[in-house]
Amino acid sequence: MIRVERLAKRFGEIHAVRDVSFTAPDGSITGLLGPNGAGKTTTLRVISTLMAPSAGTAAVDGVEVTRDRLGARLRIGMLSDARGIYARLTARENIAYYGALHGMAREAVQGRVEELARWLDMEALLDRRTDGFSQGERMKVAIARTIVHDPPNVLLDEPTNGLDVMTTRSLRDIIRRLRDAGKCVLFSSHVMQEVSALCDDIVIVAHGAVVAHGNAAQLLAASGRDNLEDAFVHLAGEGA
Amino acid sequence: MVLVASILTGPLTLVLMAHFISDLEQKASNLKVRIAGAAHAPALVNFLQRNDVEIEAAPADYEQRIREGRLDAVIVVRDDFDERFLGGDQAKVEIVYDDSRTDAGPAIRQAERLLRAFNRETGTLRMVARGVSPDLTEPVKVDHVSTATPRSRGAMLLFLIPMFAILSPLLGGMALAIDSTAGERERGSLEPLLGNPVPVSRIVVGKWLASWTFAAGVGLLTLGGFAAAATLYAQPKLKALLAFGAPELADFTLVVIPFAAMSAALQMLICTYGRSYREAQTYVSYLATAVSFVPVIAIFSGIKDATWQLAVPVLGQQMVLGRIIRGDDVPLLDYAVPAAIAAAIAGLCIAALARLLDDERIVFGRS
Repeated sequence: MIRVERLAKRFGEIHAVRDVSFTAPDGSITGLLGPNGAGKTTTLRVISTLMAPSAGTAAVDGVEVTRDRLGARLRIGMLSDARGIYARLTARENIAYYGALHGMAREAVQGRVEELARWLDMEALLDRRTDGFSQGERMKVAIARTIVHDPPNVLLDEPTNGLDVMTTRSLRDIIRRLRDAGKCVLFSSHVMQEVSALCDDIVIVAHGAVVAHGNAAQLLAASGRDNLEDAFVHLAGEGA
Repeated sequence: MVLVASILTGPLTLVLMAHFISDLEQKASNLKVRIAGAAHAPALVNFLQRNDVEIEAAPADYEQRIREGRLDAVIVVRDDFDERFLGGDQAKVEIVYDDSRTDAGPAIRQAERLLRAFNRETGTLRMVARGVSPDLTEPVKVDHVSTATPRSRGAMLLFLIPMFAILSPLLGGMALAIDSTAGERERGSLEPLLGNPVPVSRIVVGKWLASWTFAAGVGLLTLGGFAAAATLYAQPKLKALLAFGAPELADFTLVVIPFAAMSAALQMLICTYGRSYREAQTYVSYLATAVSFVPVIAIFSGIKDATWQLAVPVLGQQMVLGRIIRGDDVPLLDYAVPAAIAAAIAGLCIAALARLLDDERIVFGRS
């Protein structure tokens, strides 16, 4: 479970995040929806302990990210904006490296890599170097690396960016599979359809603040529009 | 690539050096002069023949050849030489050469030496004929006694090996130092890496150990190449000058390994400030240039070996390596002081790096 309270983050004069609060429960997919520059990535970076908040708090399974960074990291798998897989390593090595960094035993890692490769339909890719990989193939490696240690909380920053329909579908399958396994999945996107197709709960962020929170039906009602896209545009405009 | 280059550096340098030395020696020891107009100076020819000097008639176009570098020096005898010589007047000869060519030096000096010897002999004979003691013209008798042993003469040439010992770890650790800092950020792999539940200090130490291994490895391979070449290369002249075998290699190792620890850490720290791989590469090459200047400055400023130098990075290593190669006794302290200082600098760099990589402004750039 991820709880964010009155989070703010300032870079000099720029307020990237002003006031973000929400709770992403376990066994549920929470979508962080907002236009570019709304503060989604910054929020995820604070939750994943890579940035310190200027004000407010975030807690992962009750562990406050500013108090116990390593403890929080142990409970998180984060797919960051920069996928950053190593081109000189094979897919298997990329994934196994992160397993090792999480302190997993060698055999456990190998078993997990095989399992994830079946989920992601990437068995044929495992022992190839990643430098020739397509964007979709890279994404699969990055996703597998993110969840190699079976984290209870999974953060995905714009995971569908630049993916074709097939890969997007298999990514959705993975995300649902994670939810059904009881994980807390928090993912950010600027694509309304993406979020509405997948999320149990939607948090709309604009200009660094939460402007609406609820499921699709609740958002429609709150905005008084009859389709989600209009609702999003209307609600996102409110934060200005 | 780096490995092959580092292994080959030593042998290639030595072969070239040996070639250069033997070439010089050959030109000097093989007594031979080229004379234009030898027929006009029977006395000179007679003198040279008595001294086992081979005389070769100079080709007609000798000036042209000298200018082109195909001839080193030619003694030109004037037509009236014999006439003036027998008459007791000053007879003139010319030595024609191009003194901008350093490799012509031995031949020029040889021609001068022979002519001086001829002068002295003739002068002495003339004085004796007039009943004057030849000692009068030479109030001070100068004998050359050189204290340089073959080994310390070799050390002048072997100035090169300490230089390689210092530069090769810098070159060897460079790629890894850049790739693991600026490269990692440029690739976008730094952010995911730091998201792992591992303290930054451990990640930094891991990166440093990898760079250190490469830096030391390349340094030792380069020196190993020198040692192998110096042992196997059968050029007797060079062998007499060169004493760089297993014992010297072992002593060098004691200096190079701690030095590599420092150079790798320093390179990584500098590279962390590079916003891209290329920028970091530029910074690192400044460092390499600065380091390679130290020995040059030391030589030109004429600083003598002194204990304080042990405390100065690079200068200290340079001095100790120089002593090892000259075959001097190197006390344990001379290994320990530069190593301790290198370790301290490495430690400081790593601590600074761990702080930097914990700083979101560095990890994410100034966004």
